Amino acid sequence: MTRTFNQSLMLYLGVIATLALILFPIYWLFITAISTSAELSALPPSFWPADAQWEIFARVWEARPIPTWLMNSMIAALGSVALSMVVSVFAGYALSRYQLRGGHALGLFILTAKMLPATLLVIPLFAVFRNLGLIGSMWTLVIAHSTLIVPFATWMLKGYFDTIPRELEQAAMVDGCSPMGAMVRVVLPIATPGLAATALYAFVLSWADYAYARTFLVNAQDNWTANLGITTMKGEYVTDWNEISAAAVFVAVPVIIIYLFLERYLVGGLTAGAEK
Amino acid sequence: MAKISIRNVHKNYGALNVLKPFSLEIEDGEFVVLVGPSGCGKSTMLKILAGLEPATGGSIFIGDRDVTDLAPGDRDIAMVFQNYALYPHLTVRQNIGFGLKMRGTPKAEMEQRIEDAARILEVTSYLDRRPKELSGGQRQRVALGRAIVRQPQAFLMDEPLSNLDAKLRVHMRAEIGALHRRIGTTTVYVTHDQIEAMTMAQRVVIMRDGEIQQIAPPDVLFEKPDNLFVAGFIGSPGMNFMEAEVSGGDAPHVRLFEQDVPLEGARPPAGPIIAGLRPEHLSLGAGPVTFTVRPTLVESLGSEKYIYFDAGSQKRVVGHAEDEAARGMIARVDHSGPLAAGEEVTLSFDPARLYLFDAQTEKAIRP
Repeated sequence: MTRTFNQSLMLYLGVIATLALILFPIYWLFITAISTSAELSALPPSFWPADAQWEIFARVWEARPIPTWLMNSMIAALGSVALSMVVSVFAGYALSRYQLRGGHALGLFILTAKMLPATLLVIPLFAVFRNLGLIGSMWTLVIAHSTLIVPFATWMLKGYFDTIPRELEQAAMVDGCSPMGAMVRVVLPIATPGLAATALYAFVLSWADYAYARTFLVNAQDNWTANLGITTMKGEYVTDWNEISAAAVFVAVPVIIIYLFLERYLVGGLTAGAEK
Repeated sequence: MAKISIRNVHKNYGALNVLKPFSLEIEDGEFVVLVGPSGCGKSTMLKILAGLEPATGGSIFIGDRDVTDLAPGDRDIAMVFQNYALYPHLTVRQNIGFGLKMRGTPKAEMEQRIEDAARILEVTSYLDRRPKELSGGQRQRVALGRAIVRQPQAFLMDEPLSNLDAKLRVHMRAEIGALHRRIGTTTVYVTHDQIEAMTMAQRVVIMRDGEIQQIAPPDVLFEKPDNLFVAGFIGSPGMNFMEAEVSGGDAPHVRLFEQDVPLEGARPPAGPIIAGLRPEHLSLGAGPVTFTVRPTLVESLGSEKYIYFDAGSQKRVVGHAEDEAARGMIARVDHSGPLAAGEEVTLSFDPARLYLFDAQTEKAIRP
């Protein structure tokens, strides 16, 4: 189908408007980081600082334990991804392939966990972790984040597995694979886009968490994640928004980089089943 | 290669009986086709044979081994699927070699056997491509290559040609036949297409509602169908069926087209029966039994014509499988001249060509 000039114009205007809406907060974060304090409070605000403070990034990186915070966030996120992917792959595969008595109801029940707000789960989780003596440990985040990720990831993966013809596993089994072997050698390689999309979703969910880190790790300064660390930069009397914004830019960068690398898989993974 | 023995295999889903006790002895090197309409249990039987679905009861022997409880990979069979089921993430070479790799075949031998299989199926030039870069016919060849490379005891094929276009299907049909003659592996082939069954099989198993209707070589099925279903399923266009009355004691005759047609051979008791007449057994012009009709439709296929007509007061029985039956009676005649719907046509048939079926049991009545 070819578009007329007017249709193209509408399309591009729409895309530009959407992009502007989505990118504005990121742009503003960046501007806030490199503006001087005086410019930040100026009215009307300027859209590009006259005197860009590029050295802010180096200053924050050295003055604050940013590398440690980022490393902790990374450990929590990768740990949650690993744990929840192992659970979700098996759960999603079983829901997709095996006819279990009450399997459908079980699947829906898993999803109800996703409907509870995270803040509601903080209190019971805190009690559980305290009894296990885990408060302050990185394990609290790995486990707590997984409880949020697993329900959704299971359904996302079930949906993806549903699009893979059963005959492929049957062919693999006739060729000599066990049911587990057929899954590992045939289904999982084919499901790579779906796995990548799900893993990225899990990573971002863990990376963006603040509430759990604040609750479980507040007294374990060495284990602070980036989001938790940044909030401690807000002073009681004076808050340096440049520094906070610069630190926030550091937090945003890893996610952006991962998105760029996985973009190819993501598009395939998110549109799975849309075409025969 | 081996013979296959299926003994009283049946399958229930709860109270639903999808496969009634099924027994079949398949000779070493034989090509057997299971055919029937969708839902007749033919694919279920094949999956049970492959070990992909458990049977409710019965046993299966391949060669002298009882494989009833073995995993698919331990049965030494190869399967070709309707949608080819090629592994999309592997190259053609890896697809063909997958089964050998799973069995720990040494690398050099594996390479050799892949090359051999690829040569037989003429897929050598795209061994390093992926399945999505191949056409339907090429994919089908790769799927066959994956089956033959393992040199299994038997091939199981589940409607392998139904995703191909008509022309390619005819071509691949002949190729599979040639392949079977060349390597001689015992083959069980499932299809819903009676033409595939008739052209490829040494023996055909016709199934309906989970039950075997008849097991016979193709020509026997055509000439001596055991029941109404088999008679209607085999042959294209399908057999014409008519309700009729038998009378006449010692010299029985059947009332057809408002005439008393003498019965030769078969002597059914007086009363209602179903008479069957193949479209190709009706001819233009006068003959032993002659009648005139006004065709409702005439289809020309070049050298032959299909004449559709209403049989007047003759009550027609709608067959089980052929949708042509819904369009009236059909005569298939060799004729290249003009012939139009609505104009009177004289048709005739030989009473020796009549098929008779019991009106209640639908079983064939033979001499």
